[in-house]
Amino acid sequence: MAADTPTQSPEPASAAEAERPDLTRETWQIGKVHRKVDAMERMRGVARYTDDLKLPGLLHAKILRSPHAHAKIRRIDASAALALPGVFAVVTGQDFKIPYGVIPWTPDENALAVHKVCHVGDGVAAVAAIDEDTANAALRAIVVDYEPLRAFFDPEEALATRDREHTINPYARKGNLSKHVLLEFGDVDAQIAGAELVVEGEYFFEGTTHGAIEPHCALAQVEPNGVLTVWSATQVSHYLHRELAKVLELPPHRIRVIQPPIGGAFGGKSEPFDLEFCVAKLAIKTGRPVKLLYTREEVFYSHRGRHPMKMKYRTGFTADGKITGVDARTILDGGAYSSFGLVTTYYSGQLLCAPYRFPAYRFDSTRAYTNKPACGPKRGHGSVQPRFALEIQLDKAAVALGIDPIELRRRNDIGADVATVNEFRVGSNGFQECLSRVESASGWRARRPTLPFGQGLGVAGSTYISGTNYPIYPNDMPQAAVQICLDRSGRARVFSGANDIGQGSNTMLAVIVSEELGVPLEDVRVLSADTDLCPVDLGAYSSRITLMVGNACLEAAQRLRRRVCRSVAQRWQIPANRVVLAGRMALDREDPARNVSSAQAFQWAEADHGLLGEVGSYNTPKDRHGDYRGGTIGASPAYSFTAHLAEVDVDTETGVVHVKKIWIAHDCGRALSRKIVEGQIEGSTYMGFGEALMEEHLIDPAHRGVHAGPSFLDYRMPTFLDTPELHAMIVEAPDKNGPYGAKEAGEGPLHSSIPAIANAIYDAVGVRLDRIPFSPPRVLAALRERAQLEEQGLVPAHKPDRRPRSAR
Amino acid sequence: MSQSSAILLSLTLNGEPVQVAAPAHWTLLEVLRYKLDLIGSKQGCDKGDCGACTVQIDGLPALACLTLAALADGRSVTTVEALGCGPVVHPLLDAFDRHDAAQCGFCTPGILMAAESLLRRSARPVTRHEAASALAGNLCRCTGYTKILDAVVDASERLRAEHDDGR
Amino acid sequence: MRPFSLIRPTTLAAARARALAEPQARPFRAGGIDLLGLMKEGLRAPAELIELHALSATEGAEMRALAATEGGLRVGALVSLAALARAKGLPPSFEALREAASSAATPAIREAATVGGNLLQRPRCWYLRHPDLECLKSGGASCLAEGGENRLHAILGGGPCYIVHPSTLAAPLVALAATVTILGGGGRRTLPLEELFAPPRERIDAEHRLAAGELLLALELPAPAPGLRSVYEVAKEKLSHDWPLAEVALSVVVEGQTIRGARVVLGHVAPIPWRALAVEQALVGQVASAELFARVAPLASVGARPLAQNGYKVALTQGLVRAALHRACDVPIPE
Repeated sequence: MAADTPTQSPEPASAAEAERPDLTRETWQIGKVHRKVDAMERMRGVARYTDDLKLPGLLHAKILRSPHAHAKIRRIDASAALALPGVFAVVTGQDFKIPYGVIPWTPDENALAVHKVCHVGDGVAAVAAIDEDTANAALRAIVVDYEPLRAFFDPEEALATRDREHTINPYARKGNLSKHVLLEFGDVDAQIAGAELVVEGEYFFEGTTHGAIEPHCALAQVEPNGVLTVWSATQVSHYLHRELAKVLELPPHRIRVIQPPIGGAFGGKSEPFDLEFCVAKLAIKTGRPVKLLYTREEVFYSHRGRHPMKMKYRTGFTADGKITGVDARTILDGGAYSSFGLVTTYYSGQLLCAPYRFPAYRFDSTRAYTNKPACGPKRGHGSVQPRFALEIQLDKAAVALGIDPIELRRRNDIGADVATVNEFRVGSNGFQECLSRVESASGWRARRPTLPFGQGLGVAGSTYISGTNYPIYPNDMPQAAVQICLDRSGRARVFSGANDIGQGSNTMLAVIVSEELGVPLEDVRVLSADTDLCPVDLGAYSSRITLMVGNACLEAAQRLRRRVCRSVAQRWQIPANRVVLAGRMALDREDPARNVSSAQAFQWAEADHGLLGEVGSYNTPKDRHGDYRGGTIGASPAYSFTAHLAEVDVDTETGVVHVKKIWIAHDCGRALSRKIVEGQIEGSTYMGFGEALMEEHLIDPAHRGVHAGPSFLDYRMPTFLDTPELHAMIVEAPDKNGPYGAKEAGEGPLHSSIPAIANAIYDAVGVRLDRIPFSPPRVLAALRERAQLEEQGLVPAHKPDRRPRSAR
Repeated sequence: MSQSSAILLSLTLNGEPVQVAAPAHWTLLEVLRYKLDLIGSKQGCDKGDCGACTVQIDGLPALACLTLAALADGRSVTTVEALGCGPVVHPLLDAFDRHDAAQCGFCTPGILMAAESLLRRSARPVTRHEAASALAGNLCRCTGYTKILDAVVDASERLRAEHDDGR
Repeated sequence: MRPFSLIRPTTLAAARARALAEPQARPFRAGGIDLLGLMKEGLRAPAELIELHALSATEGAEMRALAATEGGLRVGALVSLAALARAKGLPPSFEALREAASSAATPAIREAATVGGNLLQRPRCWYLRHPDLECLKSGGASCLAEGGENRLHAILGGGPCYIVHPSTLAAPLVALAATVTILGGGGRRTLPLEELFAPPRERIDAEHRLAAGELLLALELPAPAPGLRSVYEVAKEKLSHDWPLAEVALSVVVEGQTIRGARVVLGHVAPIPWRALAVEQALVGQVASAELFARVAPLASVGARPLAQNGYKVALTQGLVRAALHRACDVPIPE
């Protein structure tokens, strides 16, 4: 403990554990700052990520990828590859004829191409060899005879073709239409017709990708008992487990999926990928462990990043800035496979109906197949793009109506404990406080009217789900489950199927167990994401873990707590509700001098009850969604809220946008661990900032559909020097559905960072950037266009009284 | 099988002499990870674009993925494993832990090595901008960099205070 | 990377002889940053790398030099960018060079990357770099950028290929009138650095005029004229580890208020470091002023022929030239 710590480490391991428990406080761990339970081993280079695992006899696998965007495979000749010394096996699409898909309704891809390739980078064959050099040499020796087909890179062009020959996806049933959703709530046309202001806008959100620093990696081995073990850098062990069983035609209980520590995911590792099937099959074929690490290029080609969306919005407003109706048409460029695309298509409309009240709403979203790497879920799945459009629409309305943009948002706030226009039940809502916090922290009221031409402030708001109400495959079992054991040394063991992807979910579980059972975090061991050892969990997606797994953990911990307290109370002959578990002790609330160690308390309870183990489960409340087809998709037990306020400086000579500061206020319900929540807010905002300014996942239609730079050099992600000052502020509007009131924090705070920057650019220089990224060429073009309109007298000068004299 | 000849390297690794044989075309990153099982240095891009493999060669930051192993012969190589050794927690690691500067942790070893080199060469506590400039080759996709800079500046001030106390 | 051998010659003669025998398969290695990148991307598969750092102290002395020379500076080809940026006693007149050397790539790359390698690295054009595509430079029939993604390509001096020269040091070195010493079959020769670079019309397989087996030994910066100042201005999408959208390095000799000499070099807008001669001529003999700079800056893009996506570089380059002139001549940008 603190007193023994050598001089170089003067701080206690956590702020919480140095203190004696404060019995007047309701909680002793919740909301404090914690050291993560697994950070030190990762930082010191001790934790073994998937590529760090070694097994005796390990073979290395590589995948041969298509150089064509669309082609039939006439023949694959791997004989020369197989003849190379050191090559152990080759697999092709013929080894994986069963299609799969993370969404059970759209199984439309094979582990390797069976008859045709659908994008540059599609997997065609895989080899296992003694080392990577040999595997690469084997790839060069495989001969594939392709018959190129016409490729489609534009979603609308792809949709327009009805020719079966031009159907991109081999399993598609409706040409190149992947999914169409049209939903209308209220009479939108009448509401917009009756509006005093109608804002129309067209927006384009370019595709972006996750950019986790760890490339995908998987390792498989057939154990002596015949069980197939697959270690994978996945964020959804359970869905991977299911699809492996399906494609490999093995019963699930003969497969064990383990997720080692993972180097970032952001949605990019939330479905099965070709490498997992390949290593598994190759391990079965060779009888040796097989590992495959994607190259960085392969990560770009595997993609599943944010869908490019072309969005057309009409929004009606009253003269005092109230929204009367929203009409949205969206084309989603899906790439070659469905991935989560069915859900994305719904999310592109369903997740927009808060934090503002829409009296009427219609969205018409169409997802097309194209010959590009498949798009999928990226942090803020499906809703970051429409949020970009809507928040700029609101800003345009604020300008047109002469209403302060924050005030306009306040007037439209939907409030707490209400239903949205699409019939989702919203519980707690801290959006008003979020707006107030960024408003006062940024000095908005005083500074915005005085900032000179070239500098500006912009605001935007958003909401996000804390998990989806329904799992990906229909079933009535719990969405989350946790098992906890206490032992006589005073230690707690937590078994959870949840995937810690760096967001700190292992620590979140430890905080809850610590809070309930009185042992410090360092006495809690969390074992997660091993399908042999842990209860099923659906994985790290849709910001579900804190609420769902947290609730399951809380239930198990409270059951144990009651048993421990009862045993202690019996021995002290006091009521059980007088027993407090905190500070590695059990104490009498009314006489804290009477206390025993946690270990002693656990021993008493074990003597009374036998081994101390409990499970907890969580399932979602079933009264949160709309009663219509698709009305469950996007419904959540609780919604987070965010406001972003960005300050920019636009160099009108170079077009370079310098985002100086972003203030972010995020309502996470209740922060279970403060710095972890702040880190999620900062990381989300950073990622949105990168998409706003520089990120573009570009496929080059003029040259066979190759990626325009599949590297971290050409795909620009902000560095230490680019990232603005981020001021994260936690707002807490506890939700009755969350553990201790907690809601999500990992994805919501991305959304509004992008439109906040766009709106700040408008405030600075009077130009609207309705497509991302806001790169210097675009900014210069927009400035030139505005200057011409000003010269022609079509628009007034922007900030005429706040320009440098020479420029007036 | 790889055709290139093997080479025998003699280097000082984390303060100790090491001899290791490796294929001539291997990078230092491959030798560290595959031959020496020093897995703290990570492969994120293998092209020098992400900085996850940053080590120190003769005290200066170096990208292990772009350094041919043969060229480390006779030199002093330090990896993140050196920071974690010893009976006391290194102040930089401690600061990263307190500030929650690592999320997934994959980029962190490289950042620690770049930061340690900076702090060791700096005569006074570093500013946020100096830290950001020195770390500008290390990508982190989780944190938004904020808490990393908090930690580096904090560690820098503590190290300097210790130094000034003559400890 | 495909297997290769590392050859460690200790003499210049041995290094050159080894390379000359099979120039394509036996490149020299210095910092190895670009070379290893090309090898990892599968664009080069040399059988041998000839390690220049292996040269003996005597043989490699010139390539490793970083020394003052009668008011000027000698920079060996093997000097790292970081060493150049850190060099004590770099004359203040050479500020443009220091600024460029300390902003290229990333801190760790700058420790390894050499001055010679920076000047001789291959262009970053993604068509050239794509293993499945053939562009003019990789043996194909046409420039793919011309009708493709050409946001980052040349607006000046392009055709038939539209790469921009990738070196960040080239512009300031040319602005400072550097000469380069080359060791070849006929012995040593020295030429103005700007003559090292070959536009695509002259040579498509490389961006320089070195013959096979020739070695770039060192650069020499002449003593600056009294009153010479140099600056480097750059616009990038990312502040670290990104290639410039456009850059300008310039040196001016100012006597009193009058500009007596000027060298204005544009980077990342042309296949070679581009002398903006019209700007230079319009400056010389004039009194430095905001009006003058506003008048001459547009001359920077005389002759520009932008492609579909890079027209912005015209305005950008003009803006950078103007900003650079203000800074170099200490004339405040008017409010």
